[in-house]
Amino acid sequence: MTALETIREKLGTVEPWVENRGTHWLNPGSLSVRQVATVMNQVHARFITITAYQLPGSEGFRLEYHWDLDGRLLGLPFVIAGNSTESIFDLCEAADWIEREVHEEYSIDFTGREYEPLLLRKGDKSGVNLREEPAAKPAAAAPGQKEVAK
Amino acid sequence: MSYKIPMGPYHPGLEEPYKLDMICEGETVQDAELHIGFNFRGIEHLAETRNYYQVIALMERVCGICSFIHTLTLCQAMEKLAGLEAPPRAQYIRVVMAELERLHSHVLWAGIAAKLMGFKTMFMTCFALREKVMDVLQAISGNRVNYSMNRIGGVNRDVEDPLALVGMVEDLEREMMRTVIPIFTTSSTARSRCAGIGVLTHEKAISCAVVGPTARASGINQDLRRDAPYAAYAEMKFEVPLEQAGDVRARLFVRALEIMESCRILRQALTSMPPGEVSMGGDKFAFVTGTATSRVEAPRGEVMYSVSWKEGSRNPARVHVRTPTYANMPAVRWMVRGARLADTPLIQASIDPCYSCTDR
Repeated sequence: MTALETIREKLGTVEPWVENRGTHWLNPGSLSVRQVATVMNQVHARFITITAYQLPGSEGFRLEYHWDLDGRLLGLPFVIAGNSTESIFDLCEAADWIEREVHEEYSIDFTGREYEPLLLRKGDKSGVNLREEPAAKPAAAAPGQKEVAK
Repeated sequence: MSYKIPMGPYHPGLEEPYKLDMICEGETVQDAELHIGFNFRGIEHLAETRNYYQVIALMERVCGICSFIHTLTLCQAMEKLAGLEAPPRAQYIRVVMAELERLHSHVLWAGIAAKLMGFKTMFMTCFALREKVMDVLQAISGNRVNYSMNRIGGVNRDVEDPLALVGMVEDLEREMMRTVIPIFTTSSTARSRCAGIGVLTHEKAISCAVVGPTARASGINQDLRRDAPYAAYAEMKFEVPLEQAGDVRARLFVRALEIMESCRILRQALTSMPPGEVSMGGDKFAFVTGTATSRVEAPRGEVMYSVSWKEGSRNPARVHVRTPTYANMPAVRWMVRGARLADTPLIQASIDPCYSCTDR
């Protein structure tokens, strides 16, 4: 059994790995990112980074988690509808800074962890760098959303 | 009684805009907190406002040392989205430039490490040698810092006479073997300042997911040039140096050995460079909607770019950059624990941090 199949088996998913432009993608379906991170630890995959994309309109965000397994680049995309998702910091120490950075850039909260002071800038505002607000919805009117400076 | 000593963001020993708050008990560091972001530039955001030519010039400015590596990683990702592949000669030129940049970076690092050890003559020797590496880079590209070599589908300039550069590389190699490597690996000054200092254990290195020479000095056998070859690396023969001690000396040894391996790769690439075009030609490119990711083994470790595009657009929808210092820097907290305060500048320097990259 290949290492990639081992990951699928441990995750208990029927979704296949799909290689696209050099990255092996797996649709996590209903799996949580913490379940994935636990399995990645078991197979000794190296965490690389999280890339955040804001989806059009107010559809939320896509967070692509990347791991390396013996030179193979693995990608698992998670779509989040709101402003929060689970942190993997306690499972994967290497995710600390990138979780803090995504939190600052997009105002996404990674639940289950404590935040140290902002990583990239002074002050108490997050979501200032890359997050775009829909023109029809002023930042202050969005429910449950932190103050956003444009 | 413990007390906190702030180092940075403008500490004369570090000369980089970051801050390390160290909690000390006497002269011994008990813990440390790292702070970055003092010069954060928002380059990822800026990239979304640049077209496919401008974004290459922009990303060349992410790092002052690895400027070629950043454009290489970006262009490889864009080539995937455009369905292009650089011609074989361009792939070889990319290897030559990448290895010269590694030499440049490692020799620069050696000079700074020597300065922090109090070994000023070695600092001067390393910087003189660095000039020679930059002379070769200038001979190829016409530039000494931002080389403007990469383009979508190849490189901008050919290496007219590769064999003429072999002599320059051999001169460099001789000088490295005659002075830099023996002094760094055998002198009592280097040994006393580096051995057993700033240890990052194998387990902690795995936990922190460090990359590059920092990982290899803690016994992690990883190198993208071998594990996930790009450009013409699949055709090169080289070893990946590995050390187990995880201290500053191990990181120094790994880089010293990598200098020799870089010279070996350079000789191969220059003597067996295939003839042909250096780019696919054309100045208009069409990108498909989607995301492409590219990784390159920079001198400090893995660089990764995720580039997202919408079909018909001239600008990228998103460019995300993960630099090696961003992965390595959090591990400094574990390296300085238990260290003497006076050793901490050298320990921090031993990961070869780049805050231009980190504050991208």
